[in-house]
Amino acid sequence: MNESIDDQHRLKELEKTVRILQKKLQRSEVDRTELENASELRESVLKTVIRDLEKSHTILQDRGQALETALSDLKTLQMKLVESEKMSALGIMVAGIAHEINNPVSFIYGNLDCANDYLQSLLGLIQLYQIHYPEPIATIQAEIESIDLDFLKQDSKNLFQSMRVGAERISEIVTSLRTFSRLDESDFKMADIHKGLDSTITILNTRLKPTPVNPEGIKLIRDYGITLPCINCYPGPLNQVFMNILVNAIDALDELVEQGGMPESFVPTICISTELSPLNKVLIRISDNGLGIPDNIKDKLFDPFFTTKPVGQGTGLGLAISYQIVTEKHQGRLWYDSIPGQGTVFSLELPIDQA
Amino acid sequence: MLKVVVGHSEDPESQYAVEEVLDHCRKDLCGLKPQAGILFAAIDFDYSLILDHINQAFPGIDLIGCTTDGEMSSILGFQQDSLALMLFSSDTVKISAGVGLGAKENPTLAAQQAVHQATGSDASPKVCIALPASYISDGSTTSGGEILKGLELALGNHVPILGGTAGDQYRFKSTVQFFRTEVLTNSIPILLFSGDIQVSYGTACGWTPIGQKGIVTRSKGTALYEIDGKPALEFYQRYLGDRPPTAETPLAVYDGQSDLYYMRVPNTYDADSGQINFLGDIPQQSIIQLTDINRDEIVSAAEQSFTTALARYPGTASPEAVLLFSCCCRRWLLGSRAKEEYQLVRNALSSSVPICGFYTYGEFAPLEPEGTTHYHQETFVTLLLGTNSPLEKP
Ligand SMILES: Nc1ncnc2c1ncn2[C@@H]1O[C@H](COP(=O)(O)OP(=O)(O)O)[C@@H](O)[C@H]1O
Ligand SMILES: [Mg+2]
Repeated sequence: MNESIDDQHRLKELEKTVRILQKKLQRSEVDRTELENASELRESVLKTVIRDLEKSHTILQDRGQALETALSDLKTLQMKLVESEKMSALGIMVAGIAHEINNPVSFIYGNLDCANDYLQSLLGLIQLYQIHYPEPIATIQAEIESIDLDFLKQDSKNLFQSMRVGAERISEIVTSLRTFSRLDESDFKMADIHKGLDSTITILNTRLKPTPVNPEGIKLIRDYGITLPCINCYPGPLNQVFMNILVNAIDALDELVEQGGMPESFVPTICISTELSPLNKVLIRISDNGLGIPDNIKDKLFDPFFTTKPVGQGTGLGLAISYQIVTEKHQGRLWYDSIPGQGTVFSLELPIDQA
Repeated sequence: MLKVVVGHSEDPESQYAVEEVLDHCRKDLCGLKPQAGILFAAIDFDYSLILDHINQAFPGIDLIGCTTDGEMSSILGFQQDSLALMLFSSDTVKISAGVGLGAKENPTLAAQQAVHQATGSDASPKVCIALPASYISDGSTTSGGEILKGLELALGNHVPILGGTAGDQYRFKSTVQFFRTEVLTNSIPILLFSGDIQVSYGTACGWTPIGQKGIVTRSKGTALYEIDGKPALEFYQRYLGDRPPTAETPLAVYDGQSDLYYMRVPNTYDADSGQINFLGDIPQQSIIQLTDINRDEIVSAAEQSFTTALARYPGTASPEAVLLFSCCCRRWLLGSRAKEEYQLVRNALSSSVPICGFYTYGEFAPLEPEGTTHYHQETFVTLLLGTNSPLEKP
């Protein structure tokens, strides 16, 4: 009796367990399919998130690129500001000096003839005295001998001649200074390239002269094309370009000579040639037989602030500003060829008339 | 004096299940008569039979309850397909039940009805437990937010409302509520506690936003029409492809400009218009983001919710009952680890304190101790109840 109650109880428990297990089985079947769906869903979400991340990665990269461009634009802008500030200050100074010198020089030059006339008249008068009073008193005779009158007569001619040449040279330089600064001519206008080149050379003349280190000086060859027409350009800025390129060439030659070890026959030379290209463009080449440009800096040369020169000597702005003037202001091209150890050619191609 | 007991059975057979549950309760009641109770039932039971049995055992008891997405108690821990009952007996705490009908059509009125019925002559309730319908028989849903507004309107802002909306075991078709002996749908059953009752609560979630943020450019109530000026469905489709938005892919909705967010679970959608209907309202202009889960963080949110509630518990006495309302999505996503939520709470408490709770389709709880109640999703809510004069003390 007792046992059967126990059995019955156990049976009941078993039945309950079976019911529960059945229910759990049902439930886990449902759960399984739902889980499968859910994991697909999560996978899809994560994939998209990853894709988004990749996209934002590229966006970030692009933005980095844009920032770099902005930085280099800023550098260029800064360079233009520095340079234009410097150049306009220089231009004003040069124009001022030219103007100040111009007046006294014209006093000298304008009065030279007059002074010569006065002197000749006085000398003529003395001659007349000598004819009419061939026997002067002892004091006068002594003075004639002491001042070496005959030589004085003869030499005064040379004297005035060289004074005239000197004064002419000064006004030539003054004109060059004015041409170079061309403060009055920063507008777009027809100009003679050769005049611009010449005025720049005049200003740089001292740097071509012999020095103790370079007793030969720098030889300058002008190989100007005779048929070269005037071109429409900004003469002031263009002269600045010539100046920058020429100064670099002179620097390169100076450095080479300073290094020494060149053969006896070596002559530091800069050659400026101009011609009309077949494409009806003006081609200006400025070459030197200096150090040349090493390959490893070739793509940095036109970067603002890139320089290989010691602090205080190089700013690294010369070529950058020149490049900008040639390509942006004149729609021209500026490039160079160089063989390290042999020399460098900078070439400038300018349209005659930019439409 | 407050005596709280629980009964819990995993027997799928309604008859056996309710008998087992009542056995548990009677044993712990020690002859005391309970005046109120809360019943959590899995979806496949014969509810009338169960309610009848309870009413026979304790005639006239103020019982509320609902179907769920999972049940838990200090007797069987976390279960699915089970029946759990918590009973309250007290001479110092007044507990009364009320119910409102037509929760979907007129949530304000239904809430008012429920509060009115439960309040009676007593006008100073200290806490409200609500277990309203979510899905109603035609497959549409009530608005948890509107129901909450209605309850707040009827109760006043100072009464904290806790609980959750009924579930149907992740089927999203129809949920059932219980009120005394009645089996209802589309209703709002509530319990109001007044007198010598001490209350505290805590909430935590554990979801992490992922992917790109969007701005809700057009929404009304629970209907989300446009995100970033494009159909809401497009926002989801970027991540889900052709798959429809589901409860596994809730949105984090940011609270203003802060980085605090609450969760919103998608429910139904319209492929043509691109509209998505959520289980909670999403305000226009709010910033939203898809979310990802990490099961460790979800589990630890349960513990965080509990410790927050415990830290806020007033007075020096210990709580005498714990109610847990956890979101069905948590249960679903935690899978075999769902039981850890209950376990963490259990381990943090002395073993004698009865615990009962269920997995909901939307939770009610204030965020702050004195704050107004919010309607949550994906959240774990802990409610601690007790008195100033616990039973153990003479
Ligand atoms: N003719 C040249 N020969 C060799 N190097 C040159 C020549 N022209 C330019 N360079 C190199 O290019 C650099 C940049 O020139 P530039 O922009 O004018 O700046 P800077 O003269 O202030 O250094 C120079 O420092 C020099 O290294
Ligand atoms: Mg330079």
